[in-house]
Amino acid sequence: MATSQMPKSILKKTSYPATTTSKEDRDRELALYHAELIQQRKDIELEILLSTETLIDYPLATAPYDASNPSPADAKTFKNLLRPFQPGDYDALIVERNINERCGYTLCANSPRKESGGGRWRMVGKHGKGKDFRVVDKKELEKWCSEACAIRALYVRVQLSETAAWERGERGENTVKIELRDEPKSDSDTVVEGLEKLQLAGDDSTKKQDTAHLALERGERGPAARIGSVDVKILEKEIQRAPEAPSLEDQDLTERLDTMHLALEGHTTSFGSNRHRRHEEEEEDTDWKL
Amino acid sequence: MSNEEDREVKQREAGNRETARLWRAWRTVHELVQDRGYILSEAEVKISLEDFIHKFNSGDGNIEKTRMNFTAHPSDEMVARYSNPVTDRDPKPAAPDVGPIKVKFEEGDSIGIKNMRKFAQELTAESFHTGIMITSVNITPAALKIIPAVASETRIETFLEADLLVNITHHELVPKHVLLSKEEKAALLQRYRLKETQLPRIQVGDPVARYLGLRRGQVVKIIRKSETAGRYASYRYTV
Repeated sequence: MATSQMPKSILKKTSYPATTTSKEDRDRELALYHAELIQQRKDIELEILLSTETLIDYPLATAPYDASNPSPADAKTFKNLLRPFQPGDYDALIVERNINERCGYTLCANSPRKESGGGRWRMVGKHGKGKDFRVVDKKELEKWCSEACAIRALYVRVQLSETAAWERGERGENTVKIELRDEPKSDSDTVVEGLEKLQLAGDDSTKKQDTAHLALERGERGPAARIGSVDVKILEKEIQRAPEAPSLEDQDLTERLDTMHLALEGHTTSFGSNRHRRHEEEEEDTDWKL
Repeated sequence: MSNEEDREVKQREAGNRETARLWRAWRTVHELVQDRGYILSEAEVKISLEDFIHKFNSGDGNIEKTRMNFTAHPSDEMVARYSNPVTDRDPKPAAPDVGPIKVKFEEGDSIGIKNMRKFAQELTAESFHTGIMITSVNITPAALKIIPAVASETRIETFLEADLLVNITHHELVPKHVLLSKEEKAALLQRYRLKETQLPRIQVGDPVARYLGLRRGQVVKIIRKSETAGRYASYRYTV
């Protein structure tokens, strides 16, 4: 295993410690590692299934709440449960809700619209502009109670992550933050939301993001840069005494007189000493060379 | 013929067709249950169309699906076939993994999570070991995921009515499949000095495997007709 002193490997992480000796042990560890991955995936799939089952019966709150003004509790659970969903799972939820005679939008208590008459296709947008005109499958229209609910539901759908939940990793960067088109309108909730949005100084995630950006700017590619593990700390210089402007007075007059004729707008260029110093540095610091 | 009469005739014909479909599905599923080794009377299995209509019509010419549900118990022979052999290492083996079966004809033009969950609860409450759900439409993918989720409590299988219109095992190109008991399987592996994974395989989703309700790890003997040898037996391991 790499210690903190060693440079970080860009190769794929091995699942077992390199120090393990016997082949059986290694095989066992490898098998366990993959078994755990599969188990994790199964757990998440079951969680999605149970969430779907719960959300079929939503919303729990009745009047005065409706789809345009959902109850804060329902909206909160909805957003939480939806986190591991992929768009496909969300579509399955819509289908299940329709089977149970509910509008496809989870926070809407109405039953979906029933198109009268036979035929498979319907014409939409007959009275508007030509570009609004579409021919739509009847089934698509029967998913929702109204146009507004369709928009609300699809507004949520596009925010879901295409990546499967078990591939997203544990880091917060991929956590889906879902926003409703019509957020609940209650005072306490608005305040809470405002507080959440408030950027507090020294926010951990933004700091990490900044270091990641910095690493990228410096041309550091590789896993260390991506997750921002190049931890740059910027510290204020401690001040011991009151600052004072530099003055010519405190330098020795004779010293200044020696180099006075070389001064160019107050700056004295130096040759020999500098070259000497550079030479010394090269000898000292060679680990960046190949 | 007037328009009115025409429509009436069409409706009656559609009803008759639907009745005939249900009757055929009913016969096939009874044969399936019998072939697996559950006890059913011949009269139940070989019901004629007239008797079927007489028994299950709802009065307006349609068939009441809810009344078509039935249950069956495994025969002694079936229990013996599923039993675990007594060995030195395992002197008191676990009870055979079989039990009463319930067959349900599910109504509705879409089957979702709710229907499946309800069926699973019914089976658990009435302590049925296996349940077969027969639907006229496809079950939603989400609902199918319920099956593995409740697998520890009860075993659910699903069939489409359309798949049961004919009994596939009666087709002349489908050879006879016989499930081997655990003892027979052990004897077979001993005889040919094989590991079970060295046998040819058959998938759990294979139509005949679904018909017989095969489980992972079981072995079936397939008896084919052969021009040269008369009968030819091969064995397949269910994966």
